[in-house]
Amino acid sequence: MFAFLQSRRPKSEDSFHAVLNERSGRWYNACLRITRDADLAADAVQDALLKAWGKRDDFRGEAELDTWIHRIALNAAIDLMRRRRPETEEEIDTDLAPAAPAASPENQYANRALGNDLATAMQRLTAMERQSFLLKHLEGWRLGEIAESQGTSVNNTKQALFRAVRKLRVDMDVWRGES
Amino acid sequence: MISDNELLLHHYGDGLDEAEREKITRELAAQPDLAMRQRTLVAGLDAAACAPNVLVPAEMHRRWRASLEQAARSEKSAASRDTHRASLFGSFQWRTGAATFGVVLLATSIGLGIYSNRDVVPGDVSHPAGVPVRTVGLDDASRYERGLQWHLASTERQLANLGSADGDERTRLVDRVIAQNRLYTIAADRANEPRLARVLRSFTPILENLADNHTEKREFDAGLSQLNFELKVMQARLATATSTAPTAQLLAL
Repeated sequence: MFAFLQSRRPKSEDSFHAVLNERSGRWYNACLRITRDADLAADAVQDALLKAWGKRDDFRGEAELDTWIHRIALNAAIDLMRRRRPETEEEIDTDLAPAAPAASPENQYANRALGNDLATAMQRLTAMERQSFLLKHLEGWRLGEIAESQGTSVNNTKQALFRAVRKLRVDMDVWRGES
Repeated sequence: MISDNELLLHHYGDGLDEAEREKITRELAAQPDLAMRQRTLVAGLDAAACAPNVLVPAEMHRRWRASLEQAARSEKSAASRDTHRASLFGSFQWRTGAATFGVVLLATSIGLGIYSNRDVVPGDVSHPAGVPVRTVGLDDASRYERGLQWHLASTERQLANLGSADGDERTRLVDRVIAQNRLYTIAADRANEPRLARVLRSFTPILENLADNHTEKREFDAGLSQLNFELKVMQARLATATSTAPTAQLLAL
């Protein structure tokens, strides 16, 4: 078993270049969703690549190299956002902020724009709410892992997740004409 | 009544204790409406989370490749030096560490020097001589500004030596500049100067290209010229900003 794990350890630069060619789009898009900033997302991917390269001897081979770098990139994205001072993005409860406009029969085209408005709904989330929601719902991280990455408690992460869901639901219900 | 939050945590299989999880599982099995509510909730959130992927710009991809190649090169270079010199003090890690420490030490010294010089404002009658006047925001900005000026000038000086350096020496020089530049990029990030951080960060791929022994001379010269130009522009802007706005505005490059 040990030999098997050893054999999966990516020692060569080629294995890194191969996974970079194949999967960097996925890493970049995941970081972009978290940061909403193309430059920060690109920096996060670069940091992740360099960290993974530097620590490749620690890579135990249980996961794929792609998954490992993906996770490091998301952590790097959160870290870069934190370094760029959390107060630049207001961590206020935006429940009182206006939701997406109500659906109306004459506004047919609105439904086609649902994709855009869901993106708008995501914009109403604070950085912590967005991170908590995306890392949980899309990336499948454990609440404890998210909290550790955010440098907060599991309960704070859980509450941020609930607030995110509440805000997203308000916008989605408005667009469905349920409110 | 089971809340949406509980339904969601049950779906995630996380954040509920064993008893809560079992209770919700039983309720879901017994109540089709509840199961439907959970599915609707999850589907809605799936839609919210789903965003179309964007293509990675080719330039970014090149930058990532170059970083990886540079990291691998630096490692090989360090290993080679270690083998030849077999000395802790000759190792790349030590040199990079020493360079970084030197930068921090120098920046701190400059900062402290400026700080102590500005503690007493000559001619300010509202503050008797010997009574320190603390101007924290201004001092911080000045310290940062002087450090940045030093970094830009130092980078320019080190780049001037690149042309005459041989392969290994050139790599070592560039590694040092990259490490130093990285430090100031982090400082710019922390000072909430994203534009400045971005400009400094954009130096990295050019520097990495300069360190590459396989880079053709024409390409090397072009990269060096570009970097020198960028450095001069930044220094000029910084000097202008310093003379017109000696406070925090000077960093709005």
